[in-house]
Amino acid sequence: MAIHPLYTDSLNKGMLKIEHVTNVIATSKYNPFYYHGALPQFFLWVLFLSGLLLFAYYIPTIDQAYAAKEMINAYTSVQYITNTIPFGAVVRGIHRYAGDAMVITILLHAVRVWFTDRYRQYRIVQWLSGIVLFVLVLVIGQTGYYLVWDERALVLTRMTVAAFDVLGPVGEPLKWWFLNGRAITNFTLANFLFIHIGLSFSLLFFLWIHYVRMQRPIVTPPPVINYILMALVVVSVYFWPLHMEPPAVMAMHPTTFDVDPFFLWPYWLMSKTNPLVFWILSLFLVIGSCLVPYGPWAKTPPVPVAEVVDNKCTGCSLCAKDCPFAAIEMVPAPAGSRFKLLATILPYRCSGCGVCVGACAFDAVDLADIQDADITARIKALASSQS
Amino acid sequence: MAAKVINLVCERACDLSSHVDSEGRLKDIAGAWVVSYPCSGMIQPLQIEAALKAGAEGVVVHGCQLGDCYYREGNKMIHDRLIGDRPPGLKKAVDRRRVIGLWLSRYQTQRFLTEVKEFSTYVSSLEPIAAAAAAKPADKPAPKTDVT
Repeated sequence: MAIHPLYTDSLNKGMLKIEHVTNVIATSKYNPFYYHGALPQFFLWVLFLSGLLLFAYYIPTIDQAYAAKEMINAYTSVQYITNTIPFGAVVRGIHRYAGDAMVITILLHAVRVWFTDRYRQYRIVQWLSGIVLFVLVLVIGQTGYYLVWDERALVLTRMTVAAFDVLGPVGEPLKWWFLNGRAITNFTLANFLFIHIGLSFSLLFFLWIHYVRMQRPIVTPPPVINYILMALVVVSVYFWPLHMEPPAVMAMHPTTFDVDPFFLWPYWLMSKTNPLVFWILSLFLVIGSCLVPYGPWAKTPPVPVAEVVDNKCTGCSLCAKDCPFAAIEMVPAPAGSRFKLLATILPYRCSGCGVCVGACAFDAVDLADIQDADITARIKALASSQS
Repeated sequence: MAAKVINLVCERACDLSSHVDSEGRLKDIAGAWVVSYPCSGMIQPLQIEAALKAGAEGVVVHGCQLGDCYYREGNKMIHDRLIGDRPPGLKKAVDRRRVIGLWLSRYQTQRFLTEVKEFSTYVSSLEPIAAAAAAKPADKPAPKTDVT
């Protein structure tokens, strides 16, 4: 029953040490590290709500023809939200900074599961869907910057088109899809808005995959943590209010812009190299992250999968309810059984933790390498010995 | 003689590697023995009852900090079973004074030893299990003898 040396390595020790300190300060009930996965989920709801408010006043066109008559377009609608609507600037700021906070908390989440060795084997679906989610969040955040349709949005759009251009026959349809036509038109902005909102909703689908192999996933931090996080976002809005950059003018060719370090670093990377190198690096990063669970640092013996003793199982379902990884399925009991249901283990989901053994009052589940009867016998022997 | 205390511990909770000998004896506390599990969620309430029945004077259930289980929910499960929120729980007849749960992180070994020592002193101050059982009325009336 020796634990793998990986568990005692320095990364894990460091992480647990930090959490020990936060436990002393905040108690385990309010330790933010124990809700690391729920934090980005909280920001997702904040983003959905603040985004809904922005959506109410946002006009996705680039129409400049009547600008002189103060006709509204994407840029002026954002300006209207920021300057005229009560608390519009605050809502916009919250939307921006909650997005940044989501990226920070996702990275914290990823680092935590990596360092504490909770990302591989029976957790592989969570790791891979997490990578998809993170890439989606980055893309959604970037499309959010296009929507403002200021100078920066224009540069970003042109850089994206240039990036698609180097992909040859693959890039051509992508470019068409991205611009919703051959050139930047009113339809382009409508498409950006759809990508921004549509992909945001697709996050829910991938979150379902992210959670499907977990029983009772922790998706909500305690209210007090939510209040503190929200307060941090609002304080950021107060101290670093968002500014309007000059509007995009198609005839202009701006070359510099402020880089948001959370969402726009891929564009910074592209500007420092070239689109082809950027694609290769991105591909390398994504595939590399997918391979992390298979690296030499992740070599461990196979999981001691739980086994059901069929003739002892009464079909009470307690193990299936308690299994933290949803690895136990109740199936109809075979003909001739006295009971209606029989527990079966889904071995690819099983973590070998033994929670099902603890849940079974009929001695009907065992781990592959430990028999609970042996443990009980040892306990009895220790308890009754005279030493 | 020191009280016999059986410690059912999660091997990922506080670090006991330098405090337990090869037989499972807790070196610093006389009469304390350690049985380790891959996760505290694997501890069966039946095993706690078995320990008390076989002569242990106290049982310590030790898991990781609540909220932090390597296997997600193991310590929560056994915690809930001990307090009766989740089946299977402890039988009513079990003397609750003789069972404690300790939920500590890897760096709280000293806290663990202090708590176990205190618990050991406490259970040895209780009346012996045999005496308590004798003082209790018998579960079933004695079978009637057939007088002919």
